[in-house]
Amino acid sequence: MTSAISWIKVDETAKAALARILTERPSVVLPPPLHRLALRVGNVVEIVGPSPSAKTLILIQTSINCILPKEWKGVQYGGLERPVLFVDLDCRFDVLSLSHALERRITGAYRVRSGVKGNENEYDKELFVACMSRFLYTRCYNTFEFLATLRTLPYRLQKEKEKQGSAVYMLMIDSIGAFYWMDRALPSSSTGSNNRKSLSLQTVAESIVQEIQRLLLVHPMLVLAAKSAAFGDKQSTTHVIRNSGKRFDDKVLDSGGPQKPSYRDYMPSIWQSFVSHRILLRASDGESKHQTHPSFMTEWLLPPLKFSDKFIVNDDGLLVTL
Amino acid sequence: MIESQCRPQFNGLELLEDAQLNKRILSTGCERIDLLLQGGLRVGHVTELAGPSSSGKTQVCLKVASHVARKYSGTVMYFDSGNSFSPKRIVQFLTQESDPANTEVDEIVQRVMSSIVCYSIFDIFTLLDMLHQLMNNLKSEIGCNVRMLIIDSLSSLIAPVLGGGGAHGHALMVTAGFLLKELAHEHNLSIVVTNHMVAGEAGSSKPALGDSWKSIPHVRLLLHRYRATNDSCISILKHPYLATGKTMEFMIT
Repeated sequence: MTSAISWIKVDETAKAALARILTERPSVVLPPPLHRLALRVGNVVEIVGPSPSAKTLILIQTSINCILPKEWKGVQYGGLERPVLFVDLDCRFDVLSLSHALERRITGAYRVRSGVKGNENEYDKELFVACMSRFLYTRCYNTFEFLATLRTLPYRLQKEKEKQGSAVYMLMIDSIGAFYWMDRALPSSSTGSNNRKSLSLQTVAESIVQEIQRLLLVHPMLVLAAKSAAFGDKQSTTHVIRNSGKRFDDKVLDSGGPQKPSYRDYMPSIWQSFVSHRILLRASDGESKHQTHPSFMTEWLLPPLKFSDKFIVNDDGLLVTL
Repeated sequence: MIESQCRPQFNGLELLEDAQLNKRILSTGCERIDLLLQGGLRVGHVTELAGPSSSGKTQVCLKVASHVARKYSGTVMYFDSGNSFSPKRIVQFLTQESDPANTEVDEIVQRVMSSIVCYSIFDIFTLLDMLHQLMNNLKSEIGCNVRMLIIDSLSSLIAPVLGGGGAHGHALMVTAGFLLKELAHEHNLSIVVTNHMVAGEAGSSKPALGDSWKSIPHVRLLLHRYRATNDSCISILKHPYLATGKTMEFMIT
């Protein structure tokens, strides 16, 4: 009897639950250009853009924000101090770009605080080592390896959580569409009396989504996936004329004007419906004063926002919004 | 047991250590190109050299092959798809680099020529076969300690199978690309591939093999030769940490 009553009894009030959730799983505002929306654990953000468009750079900058501590020896870094898992499907990640960016960030923050170029190197090393050990990386060369990795992730993440003391906060997947062509050509055998599901692009996508959902149940994380985009079709690209010198000044997009090439999603629909936020990156041209640095513009497709941000990649490799 | 079934997980420090120990930079033999790339070609990277015909891609490949075979120990594998590999030119590069009065030139030439292994490959399936074979050899550590792999030209092997409605051409290209990336990273090779140019929009030209190829090489370089002066110019199309658009003029004598 007691067990039945205790089952019906209230565990916590809604107010207490909200307070608990907001402290344990805070919503974060990511560095630009993802700063327009506050994102929470459990969101799946897809960053789409043609190659090259600074997608990996955004993932790296976001990782740095996540692995830095909020405050270290009096200097404010404004980070989350949580580990990040980077699954590299494109297999093009270069650890030097991450380490250089992290070093610049650490010395920059220290310089801002102390005002002089002191002996920052000592501070660098300890903090640098602590941050780099919070960056977890794995790479997969084909879909089977990716699925195997996803299967074993709950176990590995549990071990990491015990080792580091805090749970992984972000899962980054560089190029979710990396194996698209290889999966499309998978032989989908309709014959065969064995119990195995026939492999095809659809079943692969279903498995990926299932595994990630299962993973998110046990280890709630924010998922950021980069994807290279295909724009329009061959006929329309020649007609895309940018007479938009005035338009981009006021940062408000025309809804479906003729100057935008259309974006085509090639991932299976199960992945498309799994994604909760989508941001599109595009190289922008026409601004002559920034010719030395490549500039990009962003557009939130899901939820559709009317704002479009512009940013450039400066010499330090940082993303600076204009 | 779980660890053996799938790819291992590293943390940032282990990656950095691997980069510093294993992923060295190999000089190309041409000072100006080294200057542009901040040292040269990196082990673990797949570098693409794109350029219109007779812009010097094969010359750069031969120069790199001779220099790497000479300066660093290990084999250089050269996959040639257009019968453009020229041993005489390699000997010419070697004799240029060393002192004319040096009597060891013959020995150097002998050593270098036996470290460069050249295969003629005329279709994508043979290429995939050779790459798998190379991967197996390296995994089981038979024989050669391969330092570099040059494929001249990769686009002439892939372009015939691309196009047509099916996905098979793209699948073959992407499979070859991932094999190259795995070879480069897991077995510490530096890979150089060449690509030709096709007409792009508005009359300009762009590297061949399309959009799906763009995300495969780590570094993409564009070669251009000036007709008047016979100088060449190399520029960065894409690089993990160097700025795009940097150019450098060079000359290969």
